[in-house]
Amino acid sequence: MRKVIDYIVNSRFWRSIYRQSYPDTPRKRVMAVINSLALHLHPVRVPKRATRVSYTWGLGGLSIYAFVILTVTGVFLMFYYVPSVRDAYWSIFDLDTRVLAGQFVRNMHRWTAHIMVILVLLHMTRVFYTGSYKPPRDFNWVIGIVLLVLTFLLSFTGYLLPWDQLSYWAITVGAEMGGAAPVIGKHVNIALLGGFEIGQPTLIRWYTLHVIFLPLALIVVVSMHFWRVRKDGNISTPVYPIEAAPPELLEKLGKAKQVAEGDE
Amino acid sequence: MADERVARQEVEEVIEDPGERVHVWPHLVSIELVGALIYLFLLILAAILFKAPLTQIANPELTPNPAKAPWYFLGLQELLLHMHPALAGVIVPTAVLILLAAIPYIDTKRAGTGIWFYSPKGIPITIFSAIYTAVWIIALVLIDEYLPAGEGSFGIAPYLINLGLPPAVGYIAVPIALMIFIPWSLAMIVKRRWDPDTRELMICLYSFFLASFIVLTIIGTAFRGHGMELMWPWQMQPPTGV
Ligand code: HEM
Repeated sequence: MRKVIDYIVNSRFWRSIYRQSYPDTPRKRVMAVINSLALHLHPVRVPKRATRVSYTWGLGGLSIYAFVILTVTGVFLMFYYVPSVRDAYWSIFDLDTRVLAGQFVRNMHRWTAHIMVILVLLHMTRVFYTGSYKPPRDFNWVIGIVLLVLTFLLSFTGYLLPWDQLSYWAITVGAEMGGAAPVIGKHVNIALLGGFEIGQPTLIRWYTLHVIFLPLALIVVVSMHFWRVRKDGNISTPVYPIEAAPPELLEKLGKAKQVAEGDE
Repeated sequence: MADERVARQEVEEVIEDPGERVHVWPHLVSIELVGALIYLFLLILAAILFKAPLTQIANPELTPNPAKAPWYFLGLQELLLHMHPALAGVIVPTAVLILLAAIPYIDTKRAGTGIWFYSPKGIPITIFSAIYTAVWIIALVLIDEYLPAGEGSFGIAPYLINLGLPPAVGYIAVPIALMIFIPWSLAMIVKRRWDPDTRELMICLYSFFLASFIVLTIIGTAFRGHGMELMWPWQMQPPTGV
């Protein structure tokens, strides 16, 4: 067993993927993060307190993970779904009843979509109550609000697609709300529905938004969000006014500085 | 003049405490992996246990009773029952999003970053604000449902119309006044009781937003049955026409 593993891990192919052996020394641990596309979203080292689950509850990470699951299951659904008023309902019906694991994947997509809305709301609430929107993270909070809106829109556009009574009337209620806008209401309504009532133009519009435009928009905005988390100094850590800082902290920081200088 | 400029440029003197640092591999990556696995497990379990709904094929001739939006819009749909649709459907959500986005530009001090609930006052202010908001909303929903307005109708706006006032008073002016008065009065009470700084006032107002969203969403989801009438969850019948 050991030999087989050694053989694989030392093979040319494995080595071409992972340039180094298992990261068990500080140097290798740094390289592991820098050399990996997924991991390099992280800094190399983080404050220990930022890794505490009870600080962020991992909510931002779980939100993006929900998005990944939605993308994978969504592609599967797209293989079967037909965005036409005549066929949409029956394509979902067939998916539920005749496609291998069709119902399972659809359930997964549906519940993950609901959960993503909840996670994003909770993430915003965590960021708020930890004061993590304060400068320099102020603009990232605004980006976050854009993400919140995109999340709502993604979920809402998807709601129409099964073309059953539930989706049709939920969208009727929603579109009426948008149509109540002062002055521009009628135009909003026509733009949302692609006409005066919910029909084929509505379905194709919402389908396109749901499977292409909104996911791409979310990917772009989330990239900005992550970029800024890094540029703003990573996950927030406690900031005290200088006069109210705990004395032991001042002392420790004074010492920490000396140690760091000694290191150089 | 010069003094003013200096005052504006004055740098906030703060001290940040990042504490001990650890390597992302393995200290963070391991936590993320475990979290991701538990989460995936729970999602798969949910997908096995609960079926995504698929009702009858869409029928524009047959309105279900009640016809409801997805749950995260039910708070707004609840507002729709009490005020002009332009207010409930467009103006309120737009205002909420703009105000939320404005938070970091109102509360601009760095001190207090990274500390759950900020100060010893944080949690009491949060709890008080949430309860104050919930009591107001529940009371108003009940009044708007049961206040007799003559001729067999009920509600605040019909009552005012019955008094001879134009509908705009009941459906626009009163709701706007209340939506300003409740957070304003809350802020006043918190100011008296806790002598808050800007951050603590923000905590008070965000808690108002959060409690409103949660309470309205719960009422819209679990307490509105046929004809969008108020009832206990256990009195609700399955919707007809789906
Ligand atoms: C699709 C939606 C979103 C995704 C995928 C996302 C993802 C993330 C992730 C992974 C982090 C790293 C820290 C953490 O996990 O808590 C983060 C941090 C942050 N997010 Fe989001 N987020 C989303 C929406 C939002 C919203 C709605 C807001 C606020 C309105 C927001 C504001 C912030 C801020 C200010 C930080 C920095 C927090 C800190 O430094 O402690 N994000 N986000």
